[in-house]
Amino acid sequence: MELFIQQLVSGISIGAIYSLLAVGYALVYSVYNFTNWAFDGFMAFGAFMAFTGITSLFMPFWLAALFSIILTVILSVGTEKLAYSPLRARKAPRLFMMISAMGVNLATVNIINLIYGGVFRKFPIDTLQPIFIKGVSIGRMDLMAGGISFGVLALLWVFLYRTKWGLGIRASSIDIMTASLMGINNNAVAIVVFAVTGVLSSVAGVFYGIKYAVFPMMGIVTIKAMIASIVGGLGSLPAAILGSMILGILETMVSGYISSTYRDLFSFLFLIIILLFFPNGLMGKSSGEKL
Amino acid sequence: MSSEILNVKNLTVDFGGVRAVNNVSIQLEPGEFVGLIGPNGAGKTTIFNLITNAIKPTAGEINFKGKNILGKSPDRICQLGISRTFQNIRLFPQMTAYENVELGFHSAPQYSLAEAFIRTPRARRIEVDTRKKAMELLEMVNLKEHSHARASSLPYGLQRRLEMARAMATNPELLLLDEPAAGMNDDECNDLIKLIREIHTTMHYTMIMIEHHMNVVMDLCRDSRIYVLNLGSMLAVGTPTEIQSNPDVIRAYLGEPKND
Repeated sequence: MELFIQQLVSGISIGAIYSLLAVGYALVYSVYNFTNWAFDGFMAFGAFMAFTGITSLFMPFWLAALFSIILTVILSVGTEKLAYSPLRARKAPRLFMMISAMGVNLATVNIINLIYGGVFRKFPIDTLQPIFIKGVSIGRMDLMAGGISFGVLALLWVFLYRTKWGLGIRASSIDIMTASLMGINNNAVAIVVFAVTGVLSSVAGVFYGIKYAVFPMMGIVTIKAMIASIVGGLGSLPAAILGSMILGILETMVSGYISSTYRDLFSFLFLIIILLFFPNGLMGKSSGEKL
Repeated sequence: MSSEILNVKNLTVDFGGVRAVNNVSIQLEPGEFVGLIGPNGAGKTTIFNLITNAIKPTAGEINFKGKNILGKSPDRICQLGISRTFQNIRLFPQMTAYENVELGFHSAPQYSLAEAFIRTPRARRIEVDTRKKAMELLEMVNLKEHSHARASSLPYGLQRRLEMARAMATNPELLLLDEPAAGMNDDECNDLIKLIREIHTTMHYTMIMIEHHMNVVMDLCRDSRIYVLNLGSMLAVGTPTEIQSNPDVIRAYLGEPKND
């Protein structure tokens, strides 16, 4: 029973990190209909910027996290301006957008590799002692990662569903041309969407770095977030969160009760089984609700 | 010095080798209501797309309130005061009727994002104000009791009305209606005529209406004029009576009389 609760808490926290990434994919996909593969590099970039902030610039953790968020937002919006927006303006097929995103990703990851080297580094933060409740050990970092991730998601929800800007983004996700004819500035929507994406990838990168390690290829975990958003239903934010939580909990349970060696095997098997029975994902409607 | 609100001069657009609009000119005085008719494929909707800059012309000029608006983005043109409805309804189907209208007010967000998050009294006041105005528009098109229904769940006729309310929410000076009576029966057409006339008299918009229901066009344009487009070119301009007896117009709609 203790093991179960421990793994559950850990699973929720890792699920929350996946949620940030999956929501980032879903947001871009819902508005622009392409998968932003560059997200992978942004996440590693976010983690490395926080790492640099602490080790080289001697910032406290919170300041380094803020530093990382700001730089990742700049990278994300800059990518949109330099790599995606010109393609959209020329009405390029969305496959080209994905390839452009892969290019940005490879460039980002390899530049990080060149500067920092490919070694695994421990995130420079003091390991906090776990809390013991009735013999169950609960990692404080897990609690923090879960709490902050859900906080970020809650803020995003308020932004999307309770503000005019959110209304504009939701309208753009349904029909970007009509939204623009109704006075929504497409460029402003793009900047906001990619800024949000930057925040999500940076926060996810930092927490993932704390939980595991900081290394240039760490963004490969975004493939899990991709699985999670497909399992949930591509392009929908609540579905992305649902898929992420299921995947996070499944993975920690497999690690706890079976073996961590088989963790990824189960994730991918799970994806295949879900898609066999729910081709549009658990909450996916073929072309209905997006955000 | 001209007083036109809209001055379209020698507008031409080619799609590949097809000349969809050929040398079309339209001048409108503020507050006018004109009809734009023509057989299918005449280029009527293309003219709306050109005015809102959803497509770019090959040649010609479009001046709105004395300013050249060519090359401005569609959202900028909307903010300058041109709004439209669509022939094939283009509401945001997953949003409620109210949200569709609320979106129209978006073009002028008078409070900052930070204010929205901490919900300052000013931001809240503007929200309350927007809500009131949106409900007024919904009431005007008789959709008040459907304000929280999803746009896609509304019957067809109501969706058309909702599109009108959404277009009005952007606070236009020029309103372009693209076949508002499409698919409506005679009773619904009569209600629609009443509604459009009410919108025109109370809001003082300048309006262009594309329509195939001749009784709707003839009724609404009885004090003004109708433009007739055929195969991309302007065939005739005149009062409903003039248009109805114009031999070119009759030929365009019904074809050449048989010589026997």
